[in-house]
This record gives sequence, structure tokens and C-alpha cells, in this order.
Amino acid sequence: MTTTAHDQAPAGLEGGRLPWRVGDLVFYALTAAASLATVGLVVWLSYKVVAQASGAIQKFGLSFIWTVAWDPVKQNFGALDFIYGTALTAFIALLIATPVSIAIALFLTELTPRWIRGPVGTLVELLAAIPSVILGLWGILVFGPWIAQHLEPFLERRLGFIPIFSGDPSQAGMLPAALVLTLMIVPITSSLCRELFSRVPRDLSDGALALGATRWETIRGVSIPYAGPGIVAAVLLGLGRAFGEAIAVTQVIGAGSGFPTSLFEPADTLASRIASEYQGAVSGLQIDSILYLAAILLVISLITNVAAQAVVRRFERSRGKIA
Amino acid sequence: MKKTALLIAALTCATVSLAAAGVSGAASDGGSKATAGTLTGAGATFPFPLISKWIPAYDQASGTQVNYSPIGSGGGIAAITARTVDFGASDAPLSPDQFTACKGCVQIPWALSATAVIYNIPGAPQGLRLTPALIAQMYLGSVTKWNAPGIKKLNPGVNLPDLKITPVYRSDGSGTSYNFTDFLTKTSPTWKDKVGTGTSVSWPTGVGARGSAGVTGVVTRTDGGITYADVAYALTNKLKFARVQNQAKKFTLPGLRSINAAASSVGKVTGNGEISIVNPAKSQPLAYPISTFTYALAPTASPKADELRKFIYWAITSGQKFGPALLFAPLPKQVLAFDYKQIKKIQAST
Repeated sequence: MTTTAHDQAPAGLEGGRLPWRVGDLVFYALTAAASLATVGLVVWLSYKVVAQASGAIQKFGLSFIWTVAWDPVKQNFGALDFIYGTALTAFIALLIATPVSIAIALFLTELTPRWIRGPVGTLVELLAAIPSVILGLWGILVFGPWIAQHLEPFLERRLGFIPIFSGDPSQAGMLPAALVLTLMIVPITSSLCRELFSRVPRDLSDGALALGATRWETIRGVSIPYAGPGIVAAVLLGLGRAFGEAIAVTQVIGAGSGFPTSLFEPADTLASRIASEYQGAVSGLQIDSILYLAAILLVISLITNVAAQAVVRRFERSRGKIA
Repeated sequence: MKKTALLIAALTCATVSLAAAGVSGAASDGGSKATAGTLTGAGATFPFPLISKWIPAYDQASGTQVNYSPIGSGGGIAAITARTVDFGASDAPLSPDQFTACKGCVQIPWALSATAVIYNIPGAPQGLRLTPALIAQMYLGSVTKWNAPGIKKLNPGVNLPDLKITPVYRSDGSGTSYNFTDFLTKTSPTWKDKVGTGTSVSWPTGVGARGSAGVTGVVTRTDGGITYADVAYALTNKLKFARVQNQAKKFTLPGLRSINAAASSVGKVTGNGEISIVNPAKSQPLAYPISTFTYALAPTASPKADELRKFIYWAITSGQKFGPALLFAPLPKQVLAFDYKQIKKIQAST
């Protein structure tokens, strides 16, 4: 590919079409500048966050990560509560979002007539277009109170013997946060899964059907294994979204601390603590500690993303072998 | 799509750094006298209703355009320390460390109001009686039901239900939190030991929400909720708030008279100008015990010293007449006397 492109350029030059060549160069320079600037920004930004957090890093060291403390009065800070809150809310969101997304994707690719696919698919993806601050407001005004008045009492009646579903219903807590996150993840993962299922070769599923498999057996035996690694990557991308979401979570999680065992209780995530406290932070150490939280979040998000890319790469390589 | 997670992470951090830079970015030309007739300020939300009345009135009176961003007390302190605004504003007085960091700042008490204790108990009337000790116990998690004997005893004849108390606090750094926790620290030894005073503290129990709108929003939707917000906010939103017991053992509602009474406990103002009128002595039987001054922060060397002096002078004199409608009480004489001296310290930088 590259050699042919390379061969053509001098040919253009010989033909006297110099303006093309200059245009190409400008185009090349612009695109290169755009990508380099992005790469540079990521590196510079990561450096800046870590550098700004240096005060807290020096004072608390790595033990900041497993310390439970956030006391601006006594100037004692640690991140474990928020890592716990981040992990738990994101995990619950994924637990619900993954099967729902796969179901939506299967419905849209395998089970529906074409004329339904378009509108339903568009509507699901429109969910992703709702700004998170609006989802958060809806969480405060409608969804949170509904959860506190109906969903949580119901869960407590039926499943109250499990600690995570016990306690007093509250409109702000981990459950509303996890459910709002679910709503934000579903459009992303479902559209990715849909793309994956639509790439399953027709002959494979037709073959399975021809052998007498039911539709469910075809999906289980052909579509899901074929799209499997891609689904894992899609879920990881959704996870990244859940880790990083700040505004909507801040609005519904209730800014608690500690390790609540019940999902009804307030907690806090890394992103949400950063969003709610940065502006009002009064001491240098508090600002540094907030940036330390930002650095931890950055690392977690980068790892999630790299993991997703690694899965995709492996997936593509194995696909290459088949073909 | 692949970059979504990365992008979000990047954006989160970008927001963080922007918050720091944004304060400065918005007003980065503050120090370089872009236009002669403008002043830029940032800080507390608590005095914002009053400041937003001042801005058009002062523009009319003097032709100077004042811009104010209500970004919170902490943000105001940070902005004036970095000199990215012409003046800052904070409800919490600067700590000695913050004064040192600010390198030549004066703190000028320029408005006076109170924090209301707001509750939502179905069927309960306005003006429920509460003692400082009870409020502290609710926020410490040791009094958990509205029909607790302590509350019942104070409010005979009020039908208090067997309802869980949900304390709600500000999750963002806030001068109102400072005022409220200062009150609890001064009245409850346990609170002082366990929590202390600050714009954000480590709350032992309850639910957090952003801003006055956030906390009152949670309380109005949670039966049994209790929270705190500036009294003007509580009044305009028709929320029920408590009579709080003062040192003279009297239960008072936040209002102009009771805020004035608290402010009259102020003696001569000295030093940095930090005044606490929280829980005033019992010689003020009418005083509402959670009243507070809010401060303007100005550099002693400012390129816009002249405009700054004039504006702050106007705010503490003519500007005070806008206060009562918003439940900001007029500044007492001793405070004004101190303010005049402070204003003189603002000198043109060379």
C-alpha cells in the first residue's frame, strides 16, 4: 500500500501537478499536527496532574491509596473510600448494562425486521446524547425519589436479607448512582455490540440454522463466541465511562464516606469527589490531595483503556488467522 | 468510541486544571487594567444575592462595571491569592496560613446574615424548637428519630412522627458549612473533638448535595430531612426552618432583628478583622446564634486601588440599603469603623 502511494507522488510531480503536491504536504502536516498535539496533550496533562499532586504524594506517599480518611479540618487525606465507591458503582452498572446491551444488540441485529431496527437503534443511541448533567438532574428530581419510594422498599422487602439491599431507602446513594451510570453505559456498549453482531458472517449463522439449530442455539453457538472478545472490549470501554463520570454521579451519590455495605447508603467516587471539592478547597494540601485522586483516576482509566485496546488487538489477530 | 474512556479521563483532569486556570482565565487581565471602569471579583455564593443587587446600582452611581463570579469561598481565596481578580469574597475568615499566602491582603467584613436550619417533617409547623446540642447530635448520628424525647420535650403540642432524621450537608466547599460547623464546634465539645470547623469537613453521617439548591432539594424530597442554608434562600423557597436556642436559653428565628442582636455583640474589631458572632454571649437574648459576617478580600497593592476603594466604600455604606430585603442586616458601627481603616490600606501598586 505505502509503496504504491509513494510511487504515485513523483508521478504527479512529473506531470507538473505541483499544486496537488503542496496540498498533500499541507494536508499531511495538518493531520500530523492534530495527532501529535493530541498525543502531546495526553502526556503533558498526565505529567501536570501528577506534578500538581506532588505535595500530597510527598506527604502521604503510596499509602494514600489504601488510607481511609478525608478530613479537610485535620488535614488528613486518603483515597480508599473513593476507590471503593468508584469500583462498586461501576461494577454494579456493568452487571446490569452488559446483559441489557447484549440483548439490545441481538434484538436489533438478529431478531427484528429491518424497519424496526433503524428507529429503535437510533433511539437507544440518542440516550448517549443526553448530557450527563441533565441525567443527573433527572436523577435528583425524578429517578432518585422514585428509587427511594418504590425500588428500594421493594428490594428491601424481597431481598432485605442480603446486606447490600438492607437499610433505610435514600434518594441519594450508590444504587441511584449505579443506575444512572447504567443508563450512560448502555448506549455505548449496545451500539458497539450491535456492530460486532452485524459482522458475524452470514454463512456461519445460516450454516448453523441449516443444521437444524434454533435461533437461540445459533446465537449462543455462533454469534456470541464470534463477537466475544469484542464484547469484552466494549464492556471495558463502558467501564471507563463509568469510572470517569463525575457530574451525574455527584448529583445522585450523596457524597458519603467510608465503606457502606448497603447500596442504599451514600458513598462517593473519585471523579465525583474531585468535581465537588476542587473549587471550594481551601488548603494547599487539600488541593494536592484532590489532584492525587485525579492522578489515581487517570491511571485507572488509562489501564482500562489499554486493556480494551489489547483485547481488540488480540481479537483482530485471531480473526486474521481464521481468514 | 475507543477513546471515550480516555477522553473522559482527560476531560476530568482538564476540568480540574481548568478550574484552577479558569478562575484566572476569566479575569486574567484583571491586573493589567484592561478598561478603566471595571472591577472583577470572585468568591462566596452566600453574599451573591446582595452583590447582584449592588452591581447595577453601583454601575449607575459610578459608571464602574463590576463583575462577580460566585464560585465559592475557597475559589475566591485562591483567586485573590493568585491576584487573578481585583477582589475576592469569602464567608470563612482567612486562616493565618491563608493570610500569609495571600501576601498583603486585607479582609473587610461587608455583609451580615444568618444560616437557617431547615427541616422537612410532614405535619410539623414552622419554627420547631431545637437546641445546639440536639442539632449536633443529629449530625453526629446519636439522635436519629424525630420523636426522640429531647425534641418532644422542647416542642410540646407538636405532633412529631416516628421518622428517621436524615442530616443533609453541602458536598462542595461552602462558607455556609463553615458558619454551621463553627456553631456546632462552639456549642458541642463532641463535635469539636470529632469533626471541627471548616468549609468542608468530614461529616460523620448523612447525605451530601451540591449547593443550597442541592441540599434543600434533597430535604424537600426526603421526609425527615434536615439541612442548613442561608436564610434568604430558605425564605424565598418557603422552607420551614427552626428556632434555635441561644446562650440566653431563648429560641430565636433568623431574621433582621435577631441577626442585628447577634452583631451587636461585636466589640472593637481589630487585627485581621475576623469576627465571629456565632453563639454570642447571653447578654443578647434576642440574638440568632448562627449569624455570620461575610468578607471582601482585597490586596493592599492593587493596580485598580482607586476603583476598589470606592466600590467597597460604597458597598458598606450606600450598598447596605439593599440588604434588609434579602435578610442581610446593616453593618454595626464598630465594624464600619474598622472597614474604613482597612479600605485606606488599599494602595495603588507601582
